[in-house]
Amino acid sequence: MSRMDHQRNAIGKPPIVTYNNVEKCYGDFTALNGVTAEVNRGEVVCLIGPSGSGKSTLLRCTNALEQINGGEIIFDGAPLPKGENNVRLVRRRMGMVFQSFELFPHMTAIENINCAPVTVLGMPKREAEELSYSLLKKVGLVEKAHSYPSMLSGGQQQRIAIARALAMGPEVMLFDEPTSALDPETVGEVLSVMSDLAGEGMTMIVVTHEMSFARRVSDWIMVFDKGRVIEEGRPDNIFKHPTEGRTKEFLRHVGVEV
Amino acid sequence: MEFDFSPIFENWRYLRDGLLITISLSVLSIIAASILGGAIGLARVYGPRWLAGVLAFYVDSARSIPALVVLIWMYFAFPLMVGISLPPFWAAFIALSAYIAAYISEIVRGGVLSIRSGQTRAAKALGMSQNQTILKIILPQAVVRILPQYGNMLSITVKNSAICSVIAVPDYLQNSGIVAAQTYRPLEIYTVALIVYIAMILPLTRSTDWLYSRLSHLGRS
Ligand SMILES: Nc1ncnc2c1ncn2[C@@H]1O[C@H](COP(=O)(O)OP(=O)(O)OP(=O)(O)O)[C@@H](O)[C@H]1O
Ligand SMILES: [Mg+2]
Repeated sequence: MSRMDHQRNAIGKPPIVTYNNVEKCYGDFTALNGVTAEVNRGEVVCLIGPSGSGKSTLLRCTNALEQINGGEIIFDGAPLPKGENNVRLVRRRMGMVFQSFELFPHMTAIENINCAPVTVLGMPKREAEELSYSLLKKVGLVEKAHSYPSMLSGGQQQRIAIARALAMGPEVMLFDEPTSALDPETVGEVLSVMSDLAGEGMTMIVVTHEMSFARRVSDWIMVFDKGRVIEEGRPDNIFKHPTEGRTKEFLRHVGVEV
Repeated sequence: MEFDFSPIFENWRYLRDGLLITISLSVLSIIAASILGGAIGLARVYGPRWLAGVLAFYVDSARSIPALVVLIWMYFAFPLMVGISLPPFWAAFIALSAYIAAYISEIVRGGVLSIRSGQTRAAKALGMSQNQTILKIILPQAVVRILPQYGNMLSITVKNSAICSVIAVPDYLQNSGIVAAQTYRPLEIYTVALIVYIAMILPLTRSTDWLYSRLSHLGRS
């Protein structure tokens, strides 16, 4: 790994999330078994690996939707705080996008987007609406501002969900398989919004099975297996010269020639 | 057999007063039961475990006792326990509210639990507090989802209000009985009573079903 760390730090970006020997158990089952890793500001990091290897769990621990059982997660220089009120202050600074969108069905697209800024940050309604429109423009859905989620396609719903997360002005975006629930023809529109975001310098941690996206957009790839990072590196290295047998096996499994 | 509906016209004011009592008892009870039932349902999902336990006991008991027995106990037994006597209307109001609240709490609890956990996770991930999540995200969806069952409870409340006549609350059934006894026309008077109850209840269930068909997409996460 030292080989790759050397390449990675050439840009000299400071870390924003650091995982130190993170452990997470569900009852007897160990979902995260000592994850040590770093995400730097402005990086796009893709988490790949077989089903059940703990990728979603790591994302949920990152914004404290789940409590870790061991180790520590450091966000912007400070360990994740304890207690619901302190945790909320940290969550505001991270955006999360889910496989199943999780738009609020009783709110229109624009209400979905301005709900959190108004409710959580106390932003004046006018200002929140302006912000929402600029985000709708960014994801290319201004004309759907007043549509309810039930009237939108999966790809459109996921783009609204991305706009909703961006409305809080996050410093990191967490994506959990954002395209896995989509019809093949709408995957592209979501990935292109994500690529744009990456191009703007947003820090992104992305769990994905879209290997071509991971290869093209990410700065760094972490391969998960059985609750651990078994290998990490630049996309070219991971995809062309994986060192771990299980990485090779996984890549072959998802149809990447190695 | 000859029909004679004249006693109804002759006594329409008296019957109307009964109808107004039935309506006010039903409306007041459903309001109180909705507030109480909503609070109980939410407390059982989100409240501390000991409170959820106590409330589960209340709900199970209330659902195991006939409404009539609750009413009689409230009118004849409860006053002995607390040392004040209750006017029949208010005894009926308390009994009916407590009885219906138990069912509404179960409907609310089921509605809240039916909303998948991803919605709560999404709200939390945006930095919302538990209260904001319940009020802004979970409850609005739950309210839509429970509309058909809630409409059912409206009709059950109006129907059950009729038992208050056993403690001589002058409701529509009680007053119909008095008119029937005085005029010897039970067939006409009780047939009209059937129709009056249908006329009150049918629009309630129909309109909640209609509302649900218009709004159901708002609760579909
Ligand atoms: N709430 C939970 N309770 C119990 N076990 C859980 C829970 N959440 C996750 N797990 C278990 O933890 C392990 C890791 O789950 P996780 O969802 O992080 O995997 P993943 O890498 O995201 O897989 P996938 O690609 O299928 O989404 C799985 O075996 C899963 O069954
Ligand atoms: Mg997952």
